[in-house]
Amino acid sequence: MKLLALMKKEFRRFFGDPKLLITMILPGLLIYLIYTVMGSAIFGGDEQAKYSFKVYVSGESQAVQLIDAAVQKSGHEAEYVYLPAEGVDEETARREVKAGEATALLVFSEGFDGAIADTDASDAMPSALLCYHSEDAASSAFASLAGAVLDAYGRSFVFTMQNSAEAADIAQTMVAGILPMLIVVFVFSACMSVTLESVAGEKERGTLSTILVTSARRTDIALGKVLPLSCVSLMGAASSFLGVVLSLPTLMGISVDAAVAGVSALGYVLLFLLIVSVVPLIVGAIAAVSTLSRTVKEASGYTSVLMILMMVLSIVTAFVSGIGDWVVAVPVLNAVVAMQGILTGAMQVWMCLVAVAVNLVYTALLVLLIARLLSSERVMFGK
Amino acid sequence: MQTETPFGDFTQSEEVVRAEDLRKTFTLSRKQQRLEHTSFPRKVAVDGLSFSAYRGEIYGLLGPNGAGKTTTLRMLSTLISPDSGDAFVCGHSVRRAPHKVRDAIGFMTSELKLEGFFTPSYLFDFFGAMHGVEKGVLAARKEELFARFGIDRFAEVKVKDLSTGMLQKVSLVISIVHDPAVVIFDEPTNGLDVLTAKVVTDFLAELKNMGKSILLSTHIFSLVEKLCDRVGIIIDGKMAADGTLADICGGMSIEERFFEVYRSIKGETV
Repeated sequence: MKLLALMKKEFRRFFGDPKLLITMILPGLLIYLIYTVMGSAIFGGDEQAKYSFKVYVSGESQAVQLIDAAVQKSGHEAEYVYLPAEGVDEETARREVKAGEATALLVFSEGFDGAIADTDASDAMPSALLCYHSEDAASSAFASLAGAVLDAYGRSFVFTMQNSAEAADIAQTMVAGILPMLIVVFVFSACMSVTLESVAGEKERGTLSTILVTSARRTDIALGKVLPLSCVSLMGAASSFLGVVLSLPTLMGISVDAAVAGVSALGYVLLFLLIVSVVPLIVGAIAAVSTLSRTVKEASGYTSVLMILMMVLSIVTAFVSGIGDWVVAVPVLNAVVAMQGILTGAMQVWMCLVAVAVNLVYTALLVLLIARLLSSERVMFGK
Repeated sequence: MQTETPFGDFTQSEEVVRAEDLRKTFTLSRKQQRLEHTSFPRKVAVDGLSFSAYRGEIYGLLGPNGAGKTTTLRMLSTLISPDSGDAFVCGHSVRRAPHKVRDAIGFMTSELKLEGFFTPSYLFDFFGAMHGVEKGVLAARKEELFARFGIDRFAEVKVKDLSTGMLQKVSLVISIVHDPAVVIFDEPTNGLDVLTAKVVTDFLAELKNMGKSILLSTHIFSLVEKLCDRVGIIIDGKMAADGTLADICGGMSIEERFFEVYRSIKGETV
């Protein structure tokens, strides 16, 4: 009954204060908006625009066919007008490009292809001129395609890199590397904002001592903080998590289907359980640090160091291969590694379940530690 | 001695609080050592304090600032533990059964604050639940106490928006939400205006008549003379005089008697 009253109080504190609620939900919304805008800026423009180019060509070269192939592969289409044409010479073509009436002008020197093929020729170097208008999006797009083809055209060999990975594999690798780390960061941020205020804030204001004078057990007081704060933090973390998941495809230029391909229903359940096990653990850790600290400011300083440490370890885990099974005994990191396994399709169910159990055991130990700290007059009253 | 009151009869000689040779020392930081003009890293706050308080009586701990009054009350309320010695509240040891002691006492001090976000009504219910008070009893007690102190009009106002006087009344009412046998007040009228101070002192007298045992610390002589049945004069953490108000004063005023004791121990003129 006392535990229930303590939990209700924490819930009332957060759900009764619109400002606190907004601070929990707002980060997710902002993440979604910012990442989506960033992603659209990086990938959005090129993917959507389809152009019809009008290109003047002076001189002859097989390169035009190669350029046309590249244009068509990119989803555009082009009309090639060879000069001299009726009423159009090179100078007129330049003016049209400048005026935006034509896309580009290609000028090949005489005997261009032959001169390139004859590497021993001592004549003048073959030349190709591409005249375009950088302010015009279509002209720039064509220049980019044609420039790439012409740059490779004169080389004596063709170098092709072929990536055997499917698009979905690449997307999964990217998501698996980044997402667990982001989850830990967002969970930590959510836990930090509520726990610091609730534990260090109450200690600083002297309201925690008022509860200590009652006959409630210290373990009930500790649990009465950790459990409701975990629920509230989970809500905040879910907001941030949704923001990331929904904006990640746009940010990385991959489709949602590709990003989550291969993650089974069991994978999603385990992912959820891992997050749920990490939240009370982090809340417990921050609550213990907050109990030890005299002020919110002091607690905030220590907790920031803890957050940086977790971030670094999460990143290292994402990019270092061959981590042994011992990692399952390390709180938080075990969840990061298990989540990476789920997202790359290399899910190990035993590891996920053991990680959840290990994290819950650590949480219980932290609750006992907080209860001891609450009983310590040195910690609570600085004597 | 059997006493008859409107609230029932009770035996006044029943010992409710007994402190036995309480001792408490604190570690001084370098800064504190400088302020105290000492190079000794430990300070003896309470040094072998013993006294008894009885049912239906008000016991006043009288002493200057830093004498050890607050430390003694903190030990009795189980917020801190004595280094040695023990104290018993309603027969429960503060060292061995602190949770039972906490159920038997109501403790009010300016150091214990109420969360400004909540209303007096909510906090009364919350602390009632913390002490395991049954809902029906809690509702009746809230109605009675809120009406008695004029809190009913502010019951749903957030604590942070209350005046200092009203906040003190709310703190007082919440400290006795569970109808404790022993009420401990650290400087009960400090910082209060004359009207609120009178309400508080009248209520202490009322609690006494209800058979409660009250321990208070103060350095206000008039409060001791007006309220206390027994007095303990603490100087430098030691009990310099302990007994009924009449025995302690011996025909003098409590103020005259206090300074006489003070001079005899400290050898200083004030």
